[in-house]
Amino acid sequence: MTAQNNKDVTHIAFHQSINFTFDGVKYRGFKGDTIASALIRNNVRVVGRSFKYHRPRGIYTCGIEEPNALVQILSEHNEPNTRATIKQIYEGLEVESQNCWPSLENDLGSINSLLSPLFSAGFYNKTFMRPRGFWKKVYEPLIRKAAGLGKPPKPFRTTSTQLHHHVDVVIVGGGLSGLLAAKSLAKTELKILIIEQDGFLGGILKNSNKISTIENKDNKLWIKELEKKLEGLENIKILKNTLATTYNYINHLIAIEDRTTGTLPLDGNVDQILHKIRADHIILANGHIERLVSFRNNDLPGIMLAGSFEKFIQRYGVIPETNPVIFSNNSSCLSLIKKLIDLNCKPQAYVDSRSGDKIEPELLKIIHKKNIPLFTNAHIEGCDGKKQVQEISVRDAEGIITKLKSKMLCVSGGFNPDVHLFTQSKGVLSWDDEYLTFKPDKSFQNTIVLGSNAGIFQYSKIVNDINTKLSFLDHEPLLEIDLTLNDTDKYSIEKLWETKHEKESRWSKSFIDLQNDVTTKDLRQGIQEGFDRIEHLKRFTTNSMGTDQGKISSINALGIVSEILDKKVSEVGTTIYRPPYAPLSFASIAGRGTYDFYDPERKTSIHEWHKKNGAIFEDVGQWKRPWYFKSHPEENLYEAVQREAVHVRKYAGVLDGSTLGKIEIKGSDALEFMNLMYTNNFSKMKPMSARYALMLGEDGMVMDDGIISKINDKHFIATTTTGGAAKVLSHMEEFAQTEWPHLNVFLNSITEQFCTFNISGPNTRLIMEKVFKDIKFDNENFPFMTFGNFTYLKSTVRILRASFTGELGYEIYVRPSIALKLWEDLFRFGKDEGLIAYGTETMHLLRAEKGYIIVGQDTDGSVTPHDMDLEWMIGKNKKDFIGKRSLTRTDTIRSDRKQLVGIKPIDPNDIIEEGQHIILTSSIKPPVKMLGHVTSSYVSPNLGHSFGMAVIKDGKKLIGSKAYVSSSSKGAFEIEIIKPIFIDEENKRLVS
Amino acid sequence: MLIIECPYCGPREQCEFTNGGEAHVSRPSNPEEVTDKEWSEYVFFRSNPKGIYFERWVHSHGCRKWFNAVRDTSTDKILRSYEIKNDKPSPADLEDSNLTTPSGEPDVGSGNFTVKKL
Repeated sequence: MTAQNNKDVTHIAFHQSINFTFDGVKYRGFKGDTIASALIRNNVRVVGRSFKYHRPRGIYTCGIEEPNALVQILSEHNEPNTRATIKQIYEGLEVESQNCWPSLENDLGSINSLLSPLFSAGFYNKTFMRPRGFWKKVYEPLIRKAAGLGKPPKPFRTTSTQLHHHVDVVIVGGGLSGLLAAKSLAKTELKILIIEQDGFLGGILKNSNKISTIENKDNKLWIKELEKKLEGLENIKILKNTLATTYNYINHLIAIEDRTTGTLPLDGNVDQILHKIRADHIILANGHIERLVSFRNNDLPGIMLAGSFEKFIQRYGVIPETNPVIFSNNSSCLSLIKKLIDLNCKPQAYVDSRSGDKIEPELLKIIHKKNIPLFTNAHIEGCDGKKQVQEISVRDAEGIITKLKSKMLCVSGGFNPDVHLFTQSKGVLSWDDEYLTFKPDKSFQNTIVLGSNAGIFQYSKIVNDINTKLSFLDHEPLLEIDLTLNDTDKYSIEKLWETKHEKESRWSKSFIDLQNDVTTKDLRQGIQEGFDRIEHLKRFTTNSMGTDQGKISSINALGIVSEILDKKVSEVGTTIYRPPYAPLSFASIAGRGTYDFYDPERKTSIHEWHKKNGAIFEDVGQWKRPWYFKSHPEENLYEAVQREAVHVRKYAGVLDGSTLGKIEIKGSDALEFMNLMYTNNFSKMKPMSARYALMLGEDGMVMDDGIISKINDKHFIATTTTGGAAKVLSHMEEFAQTEWPHLNVFLNSITEQFCTFNISGPNTRLIMEKVFKDIKFDNENFPFMTFGNFTYLKSTVRILRASFTGELGYEIYVRPSIALKLWEDLFRFGKDEGLIAYGTETMHLLRAEKGYIIVGQDTDGSVTPHDMDLEWMIGKNKKDFIGKRSLTRTDTIRSDRKQLVGIKPIDPNDIIEEGQHIILTSSIKPPVKMLGHVTSSYVSPNLGHSFGMAVIKDGKKLIGSKAYVSSSSKGAFEIEIIKPIFIDEENKRLVS
Repeated sequence: MLIIECPYCGPREQCEFTNGGEAHVSRPSNPEEVTDKEWSEYVFFRSNPKGIYFERWVHSHGCRKWFNAVRDTSTDKILRSYEIKNDKPSPADLEDSNLTTPSGEPDVGSGNFTVKKL
């Protein structure tokens, strides 16, 4: 328990101490510390509990790859699953551990560790099968409670935003290779973007002790000088604290920039920027990641990757433990041992799986000189301890176990190029037998991979590699650089994925995936149960499926699997690496597109009037439409609709129909075009008249309807349903451009150029005559389905006599600028005639009473005009129109298709519900034969009972007969099948 | 996200476009005379090849023009785009129509291996 400061670092301000809390306890760190480095400085070893077994876990790494140290940030809308190894502390930061109850120290869930046979591979699939009834009430709630790591965040409004870049070259990674590449490209005119995940450039130069001088300069000085030079160039931009997460097709890169590193995000300031980058060439120089070795209890707090241990010392100025045991199968620990010695610390022992003759002489020399106990050809058998490492068992070449008392074990299992982005780009990997890892082989896009990311683990080869790969960009070739190394020039490694267990107990587990609690035993079991393909095995065991995506262990899993299957690792293959590289928040993806900016709201010109007059709105597409108007604050939807519906049929009502789609069709071939687009025949129609028209898809199914006004043969105006406007325009454009480009026709959306008011009811004519004093509205001068252009307030208004309620009615089309004035005029003159405003719900009720269908409610894309009882709308003499041929297909001429009928309950007190089934029996005990379903249903105050429309099999023939309709409250009740028209079948009101 | 070359506006991001399915499926000029089978071929059936595919796009958030494009469905590479009125290019005219799939995967199936086939 002895962490020690190393004050010789540049990124920690030791004079600036910072207070924060972890699980309610106050701690002190320094400016620049991450949560992890600060906790280590305070000798906190246990930082969380594991997912499945609730085992105590500590800080395992020092970066993005961290599997264990995920914490909840209470001071920022309770942000969960934050990597403690990335998140920097600031004054007042509040952090909480995850996945433990009641407390981190005493976690009840840890009993799972003893129940582990229950939680083995595939336990989700196997355990919760029986008894069947248990799933919904017992298992599912339990699993939901246990699922996930942290708690969900509190609602908050993100201040993140997004930026687009178009550049020639992106360099991902500002480490040694990335900087050298930038240096060599600096003098070209290429526009270059450098993306660095840390707050500084340098990578390995600053994060490790491996290189002490470069070009005979101190690392830090060399970086400083180069950075200054690059920053002075106009063609180079450097993004720090920015992580490239996604590599899409056509060199499209997504990177997330953290703008609040080390500070509390303040309201109003941008906290994250999602960069969307398109580049001609992408240079991947994002380095490598260290991997673990599996051994007994390799998850105990106190075990840490050796490279991360070195990074804590080098970058964060904290030595997690002055006398750790070091275990490795490769040459990389040389720099760590040198550093510890420089700091007057001494490793307690060095354990190397390689035999003495394979270990680098330089390494052996130091170990002998400093008298560090050395075990060659030896393994760590396992670790023991309560909540942290206390005893480390080393098995030497002869198989003899030596127990070392130590609190810290540094492990290095070798390195993998961080190929995540490369494989996202669809590049192909190959297995490297020397370095025992996958490395990029063939690019699929314009991708260049440099340095250790390309599998080059030899310092003296880096420069030559860059010169070769960048030569086609006319770069300035680099001269060989002088490096002073604390490392061997060439890295060497021996295969070691897992060590042998000496003792077995339920607590003894050898983990492969720490975050998901997957053990090497789970891998074996999965293969035994037949999941021998790596993609299957991954899903069965949940290996590498956590937020860390198995960054430190997925290659080990492949190694272990290849040994079990006795195949080469390259034959086992990798699972597919999918974006993102590391989790990014939904907030950053949403950016500004939340709340008011999520989806535009469309409002009519009368919106404010509606609001003032008690309107309750409903969303129709993006439109806000008055649903109903409250006559007094306590009135509910049902009461308001009953009142409005009676009132309109008795006096008059007006509906704001401005949201209806309106399309203008012009051109010398407009008539021919309209005849092709709609079922109706417009040829014999008189100018200045209108017609209800139907639009079909090429499959013969009803697609939209509306009123077509014909000004003349070269000029039509079509209305569409509110929701169908965009679709109908696109449909018309498609055919005008692709099938009939020879037709001279122009299409224009004029939905927002006109407001539309639908006024109807017996008193309508009286009101219209008062508002438009010069117009004659009598039947002779203004018959049904005709229209005219008139002047109102020096502006043209178009008035069409049409009705969607079945009452005498007019549609008024008026410019938005004077629409409100006209609307108010209607009420000024209509007050004495009982004019009210009504909403969409009443409109739906009134049209249903009259038997008018609503496309999208009574139709569902599977009904023809015949099915809807609309044969009369088909222009029989027309040679062709869209959908015509489909109406005579064998399937569409069947007589037993589902057809529209009206239904009413035998008992007037029964209420029909929309969506219920029409059946033949009063019993709803399965199996029940279903004839069809209710498409519309209302309680009509004008009829005095509930009624509905339904589509039922062979419906036309069944008119006059009785059937049943299912009900949510009482099984089923009897109904009568009637014609789908309930009021004014003779159209007397319509043409009154 | 793909970059698609609109023949009228130039290269634009995919989000400006809407796909319109297979191209060069022409509407029978005499719908009344074709058989049910022939008509349903036009209405319902489209090819779904792995490799060269002729498809329609519309620059819906741009010039609203329809045009045709040739895409290799196994690599998503768009080999050419052209105006509706132009003839269908013959596969021989398409440069680099022999692109291999990202991972040199088998001809049949979608084994999207990240590791090179041995």
